[in-house]
Amino acid sequence: MIEPPDISWLGILPELILGLGAALVLLIDVQWKPRSRVLCQAAGIILALAGIAALIQRVWLAGLGPEEQTAANLTPFGGMLVIDQYGVFAHLLLIVVALCGLGAGWRFFESLGRRGAEGLALLLLSTAGFALMASTPHLVMMFLGLEIGSISLYVLAGFTRTETASEEAAIKYFLLGSFASAIFIYGVALVFAGTGSLHLFEQRVFLSSNIVLRPAVLLAGLALTIVGLAFKVTAAPFHSWAPDVYQGAPAGVVGFMAAAAKVGGFAALVRLLSTGFADYASTWALVVAGIAVLSMLIGSFLGVVQDDLRRLLAYSGVAHAGFILTGVVAGRSGTGGVWFYLAVYSVQLVGAYAVVAAVSGPSSAGSALSRYSGLGKRQPFLALGLTVLLLGMAGIPLTSGFIAKFGVFQEAWRAGFGWLVVVALLASVVSFFIYLRVIVAMYMGDASDELAPPLGVPVRAVLMVAMAVTLIFGLLPAPLLRLAANALPL
Amino acid sequence: MLTALIVLPAVGALVVGLLPKRRTELYMPIGVTLSLPALALSGYLFATFESGVAGFQFVERAAWYEPWSVYWHLGVDGISLPLVLLTALLVPLALAASTAINHRVKEFVVYTLLLEAGLIGVFLSLDLFLFFVFFEAILIPMYFIIGIWGGERRIYAAIKFFLYTAFGSALMLAAIIALAIIHQRQTGAPSFSYVELFDLALNPTTERWLFAAFALAFAIKVPIFPLHTWLPDAHVEAPTAGSVLLAGVLLKLGTYGLLRFNLGLFPQATVDFVPVLAVLAVIGIVYGAVVAIVQPDLKKLVAYSSVSHLGFIVLGTFALTSGGLAGGVIQNVNHGLTTGALFFLVGMIYDRRHTKKIEDFGGLAKVMPIYSGLFLFTAFASIGLPGLNGFVGEFMVLLGSFPSLPIHVIVAASGVILAAIYMLWAYERVFTGIPDKPENQKLLDLSVREISILAPLVLLMIVLGLYPKVLLDRIEPSTEAVLDRIEAVTDYRVPVPGRIDQVLAGGGE
Repeated sequence: MIEPPDISWLGILPELILGLGAALVLLIDVQWKPRSRVLCQAAGIILALAGIAALIQRVWLAGLGPEEQTAANLTPFGGMLVIDQYGVFAHLLLIVVALCGLGAGWRFFESLGRRGAEGLALLLLSTAGFALMASTPHLVMMFLGLEIGSISLYVLAGFTRTETASEEAAIKYFLLGSFASAIFIYGVALVFAGTGSLHLFEQRVFLSSNIVLRPAVLLAGLALTIVGLAFKVTAAPFHSWAPDVYQGAPAGVVGFMAAAAKVGGFAALVRLLSTGFADYASTWALVVAGIAVLSMLIGSFLGVVQDDLRRLLAYSGVAHAGFILTGVVAGRSGTGGVWFYLAVYSVQLVGAYAVVAAVSGPSSAGSALSRYSGLGKRQPFLALGLTVLLLGMAGIPLTSGFIAKFGVFQEAWRAGFGWLVVVALLASVVSFFIYLRVIVAMYMGDASDELAPPLGVPVRAVLMVAMAVTLIFGLLPAPLLRLAANALPL
Repeated sequence: MLTALIVLPAVGALVVGLLPKRRTELYMPIGVTLSLPALALSGYLFATFESGVAGFQFVERAAWYEPWSVYWHLGVDGISLPLVLLTALLVPLALAASTAINHRVKEFVVYTLLLEAGLIGVFLSLDLFLFFVFFEAILIPMYFIIGIWGGERRIYAAIKFFLYTAFGSALMLAAIIALAIIHQRQTGAPSFSYVELFDLALNPTTERWLFAAFALAFAIKVPIFPLHTWLPDAHVEAPTAGSVLLAGVLLKLGTYGLLRFNLGLFPQATVDFVPVLAVLAVIGIVYGAVVAIVQPDLKKLVAYSSVSHLGFIVLGTFALTSGGLAGGVIQNVNHGLTTGALFFLVGMIYDRRHTKKIEDFGGLAKVMPIYSGLFLFTAFASIGLPGLNGFVGEFMVLLGSFPSLPIHVIVAASGVILAAIYMLWAYERVFTGIPDKPENQKLLDLSVREISILAPLVLLMIVLGLYPKVLLDRIEPSTEAVLDRIEAVTDYRVPVPGRIDQVLAGGGE
C-alpha cells in the first residue's frame, strides 16, 4: 500500500500564500483592471500575510518541546520541506526584503501601467521560490526553488522592453544564470552518485557513518553545487554578470533582485554545507575560504574604479559576498553571523538601490556617479539616507554593518581562519574607498542644476526602514543577534 | 556619570540637528552652549576624582551583548582623566572660534559634537570592543569636517586621513578578536574587558604580533615617523576647529593607546620593542623639528611641530620610567593646550588675511599688539620656557628617560633647541620689522570673543607651568601601576633613579 504523503499546510503556508497571491494579483488585474497602485497595495498585503504565516511557524516551533523537535516531526511532505528556525528566519528576511523592494519599485510598477500586475506577480513568485530554496533539505527541491526564484528575476531584469540595456541585462542574466543552474544540478547528480541520496539529512547520516574511500565523484559534486550557488550570490570568480545586469535592469527592481538572490543563495549554501556535508568541513572550508578571498579582493579593488553607482554597488556586493563567506567558513557556528550579516546587508542594499531609482528614474538603466554630485544640496534626505547606508555597508562602527562584519570575522577566527580575517579586514579598508567616493561626490562635489523628481511615500518609508536597521542595530544589536543566533538549521 | 559625559554631546548633536532651518546664526551659540554641560560635568569629575588611587574610578558596566561578552564598560583613571578634561575644554572653544564657517553651519556643529562624544568615549572605554567602536567612529565626523569645510585640497586630505587611520585600525581589530579568542581558549569564555585580559598568558611570539598590530594603529594616529605623512595634509586643509581638535585630542588617541593598551596588555613585548620605538620617537622629534624650520606655511609649521612634540611623549612612554610615563601624560595635555592655541591663532590671522604663508606677513606686532603678544606667549609655552607648561612636560620626559635611554635623550634634547629656532624664526618673520605690505597695515587686533577663546588656554598654560602637581597627583598613581605591572610580569627593572620615590629621595644612592 502506498502511504499518502504527510501534508502539513503549516509547512508550506508562506510559499503557498505567495504563490497563490501571485495568481491572485494577475486575476484581479484581469477581472477589475484596477489602478496599478491598488495592485501594489494588494501585493503588499499578500507579503504581509506570508510574513504572518512565517511568524505562525515560528510560534509553533517555539511551542514544541526539545524531544519533539526531531527530523520526523519537522520535515513534512515526505521530507521535501523542513520547518526549522533557519527556514523561518529566511522567510521573514525574504519577506522584509520583498516589502522593501516593493516600496523601492513602487513608482516603477506604477509606471508600467497594465503590465504592473505581471511585475508584481513575478516579485511574489521569486520571493516564494527563494523561500522554498531556504526551507528544504532536499536537493532537487532546492533546485526547483532556485529556478522559480531565478527565472522570475530574469524576466524582471528585462521588464522595460524599450531599453536595450535592460534587454541585454536580461539575456546576459538568463544565459549565465541557466548555465549556473545547470552546473548546480550536475553537482547535485554527482552528489547523489556519491552518497546515494538527495536528502541532506540522509547524506549527513551516510557521510558520518561511512568512510568514502574514493571521494572524487562526491567532492566534484560538492564543488559544482558550491559553484552554482556562488554564482547566485555573486561571489568571485563567478560574479562577472552582476555589474552588467545591475546596471541594465530597471532601477526599481535591482535592489530586490540583488538582495533576494543573495539571501536565497546563502540560505541554501549554508544549509547544504553545514548539514549534509558537516563532516567534510575541513575539505570545503578551504575552497570556500578561497572564494571568499577572491571575492573580497576583486570586489573591493574593482569597485574602486567604477564610475556608475550601480556597477559600484554590484562590485561592493561581490566584496560583501566574500565577507559573508568568511562566516560560512566557520560552518554551523557561523550561521548566526551569516544571518545577521545577510539581514542587515540585504536591507541596506535594497535601500541603496531605492535611492538609485529615485535619483535616476524608476525604469532607467545606468546611473553615472556624476549625477550624484551635489545630491546633498538637491535632495538632502536621499543623500543622508544613502550616506548612512553606505557607511553601514563599509562597516563603520555604530552601524549594524560593523556588528555584522565583526560577527562573521570572529567566528572565522575561532574556526582557525585568522589569515582569512586579516585579508578580510584589509579588503574592507580598501572598500571604504568605494563608499567614500560616493559620499564625497554627494557632499563635496558641485551641485548640478538637475531637478530631481519629488519623493514618494514608499521610497521614503523604505529609506527610513533601511536607515533604522543600519543605525538601531548598530547601537543595540542584541535582539537581532539573538534572533540570528537561534536560526540554526535542523 | 561617565555615560552622561558621552551622551550629553551626542544629545546636543541631536538637538542641533532638529533645530529649524532658518535661524542659521543661532547654531554656533547653541552648539557652544550644548557643549558646556559636558565641560561642567568633566570639571565635576576632576574635582571628585580621588587622587592617589591607581585603579579605575566611577566604573560603570552593563551587558551590551552577552554571548559575545561585550559590555558597556567605562572607567576613568589618572591616564584618561586629563584627556577627557582636555576634550571637554577644547570643543566649546573650537566651536566658538568657528565664526568663519558660513555654510552648512548646522552640520558642522552636529559633527563637532558627535566628535566630542566619540573622543570622550574612546578615553573612557574599558572594553576593547567598545574602545574600537569609538576609535573608528570618530573618523566619520572628522572626515566630514575636513572634507566639507577644509581648504582647496580638502577631499584628498580627508580621504588620505581616513584611509591611513582605517588601515591601522583594521589590524588592531584583528588583534582584538585574537585576544578575545585566546581568552576563550584559556578560560572558556571570550572577553574584551581590559581588566580581564591582564590575566592572559600569551606566548612571546603571539604577544609580539599583537603588540605590533596595536602599535601600528596607534603609531599612525600619533603619528610616529615614518607614518606621519597624512598629518600635514590633514592639518593644512582642515578648518581651524578641525585642526585644533585633530592636534589637541585626536593625536592623543595614539599616545593614550600606546600607554594604555600596548604597555598595559603586552608588557613583555613592550620591553622587547623599546629599542625600535624609542629610536623612531627620537627620529620623529628631530625630523619634525627640522622640517618645521623650513615650512613656508604657518599651519604646516605647527603641524610638523606636533610631530616633534609627540615624539617626546612616545619617547617618555617607552623609556619605562616614572618621569617618562607621567611626563608623557602631562605632555599630552600641554601639547593639546599649546598647539590648540597655536592653531586658534593661525586660524584668527587666516580669517583676516586668508593666507597662512609666512612671507605674506611681517611687522604684525605693530598692527596687532595683543595678537602678537599672545602668539609669543604661546610660542614660548610650546618651546618649553621654564614657568610655562611645555617646560614641565618636556623636562620631565627628558629627565625621566635619561636613566634608561641616555643616548636617545641627548639627541632628543636637540629638539628643544630646534623648537626655539623654528618658533622664534617664524615669529620674527611674521611679527617683527615694519608692516610693509598694505594688506597688513589695516588688520584689526583680536576681538573680545577671540581673546576670551584664548584666555582659558593661556591661563591653564601658566597654572600647569607653575603648579603641575594638581595634575601629577592624579596621574602618577596610574602610571606607577603600569610600571609595577611591567616589573611584576617581566625581567625588566626600572633603572635607578627611574622611580619617582627614588628621585624624591635624592637619586636613590
